[in-house]
Amino acid sequence: MMFLVSVYRIFKTAMVSLWRNRLLSLAATLIMVMTLFTISFFASVLFVTNKTAAYLQDKADISVYFNEDVTKDQIFTLQNTLLARSDIKNVDYISKEKALERWKDWQGKKYTDSENGLQDVINETSNPLPRSLDVKADKPEDLDKINAFLSSDEIKPIVRHVSYEQNKIVIDKLIKMTDFLKNIGWSLSVLFLLISILIIYNTIRLTIYARSDEIEIMKLVGASDWYVQGPFFIEGTMYGLLSSIISSFILYAAIKYSLPGVESYLGAAGAQSIFSGINLGAIIGIQLAVGLVLGTLCSGFAVRKYLKV
Amino acid sequence: MTEDIAQKTKIKKAVAEEQSGKPKQKDSGDVVIEFHNVYKTYQGKINAVVDATCNFSIGEFISLVGPSGAGKSTLIKLLTCEERPTSGKILVAGRDITQLKKKELPYYRRKVGVIFQDFKLLPRKTVYENIAYALEVSDATNEEIHDRVPKIIELVGLSNRAFAFTEELSGGEKQRVSIARALVHNPKLLIADEPTGNLDPVSTWEIIELLFKINKQGTIVLLATHDKEVVDTVERRVITMRDGKIVSDQEKGKYLF
Repeated sequence: MMFLVSVYRIFKTAMVSLWRNRLLSLAATLIMVMTLFTISFFASVLFVTNKTAAYLQDKADISVYFNEDVTKDQIFTLQNTLLARSDIKNVDYISKEKALERWKDWQGKKYTDSENGLQDVINETSNPLPRSLDVKADKPEDLDKINAFLSSDEIKPIVRHVSYEQNKIVIDKLIKMTDFLKNIGWSLSVLFLLISILIIYNTIRLTIYARSDEIEIMKLVGASDWYVQGPFFIEGTMYGLLSSIISSFILYAAIKYSLPGVESYLGAAGAQSIFSGINLGAIIGIQLAVGLVLGTLCSGFAVRKYLKV
Repeated sequence: MTEDIAQKTKIKKAVAEEQSGKPKQKDSGDVVIEFHNVYKTYQGKINAVVDATCNFSIGEFISLVGPSGAGKSTLIKLLTCEERPTSGKILVAGRDITQLKKKELPYYRRKVGVIFQDFKLLPRKTVYENIAYALEVSDATNEEIHDRVPKIIELVGLSNRAFAFTEELSGGEKQRVSIARALVHNPKLLIADEPTGNLDPVSTWEIIELLFKINKQGTIVLLATHDKEVVDTVERRVITMRDGKIVSDQEKGKYLF
């Protein structure tokens, strides 16, 4: 019973201290917010880049666009020929309607915004978009061969455009970038995490140093170790809690802000598929966990130093 | 100036009354604290306390005097277990406190009241909270705290300042809070380490009077001080230290240095 009263007192002391030392608490919290935000922002960027690369890679490796005068039969013949190849995984036929749909998705708000006038130029009745075949290769190495086949004399006449070369450059760049990021990503993440832990630990140490006279007096008056440590533990936990909540809000805002940018790059559907992967709950959860754990542990360790009276 | 003299006269009168054969406290005279050949040396070179041997009995009012560096504060630190002696024994109520384990220290510290020259009050807490803290720390119930704290605040004369913050108090008031806090557990021993060092003359006498009041109720008061006037006026036992040694121990002493 007495134990509960003590716990209550420790909790109350912590809260009152936080309030009465509010400038100090605010400073420490802000530093933690910046640190936490940096880690999660970096993690998010890494995640988004990875996902973007995967998304783009998953799209057709090669798109074959057809002239308007080519017949459906000719297209299907080509499709079957391609499907018969061992180095091709899949071939999808994209009709004019489907092409329109995809294009509308890509444009997102820009299309539905009637002021643009886009709706007048491209719609169901007046559809200038060509039909195409989305060709997915088994392995990226085979793309060259497939491209060569599509450029051969038999195929060339009906083909209006093969998107290989342009895609290739972009995808290559993306692959290089993601590989690079993957390699250094891990080491950088660990580095960032270490730096953050150090920053948070030292910040809390400084706040406790600022109150070391208090600790000395508490011991002199006969407080047991845990009675002295308790409030500081809780204060550290509160720092962690508060800073991770604030950091999550900022991250959320950052994501919302960057969404239009990503949309224009990848199309609305693409952006959605990437960001849907970012489970906001998970991010907040992880931040909370890191913040709480760090806050509490750091306080605990930092106070011990002063308990040697 | 006149207040000064008035205070002094008041105390002198109180002392005189003591002398005039008033009935003694029950079990006064029992030895409660014993120093046996206590040495404290820092880093093998600095001899802070050298061969200290003396006893304190219930009801005594002892002034511990000596120049700076004589060892007064060290002796006090040994009594509060802030430091351990290099050799020798210190018995308090029959128990050798030099052998106390770390986890027993808080319990011992709650039995000895200490006040310091720099008050050592918890910052950003009120008078009430400072005193209550000393009780909270020993798992007193809320009822006990509600009961005792106002009484102690009244004893030291701070009823009208009970909810002032430490930062808002004057030196004299701060020292009263320290005393109140030290009394919270009804200690048998109250140690005052230069309590009036930071106070003006009037506050000084007020504090001494308060200490006297407490002593009359049976608490041993050990007053370490530089203040010659205080020592000479109080006319009680005086232990003089110099260079770590106890050089004089007089029943009705005077400030010798």
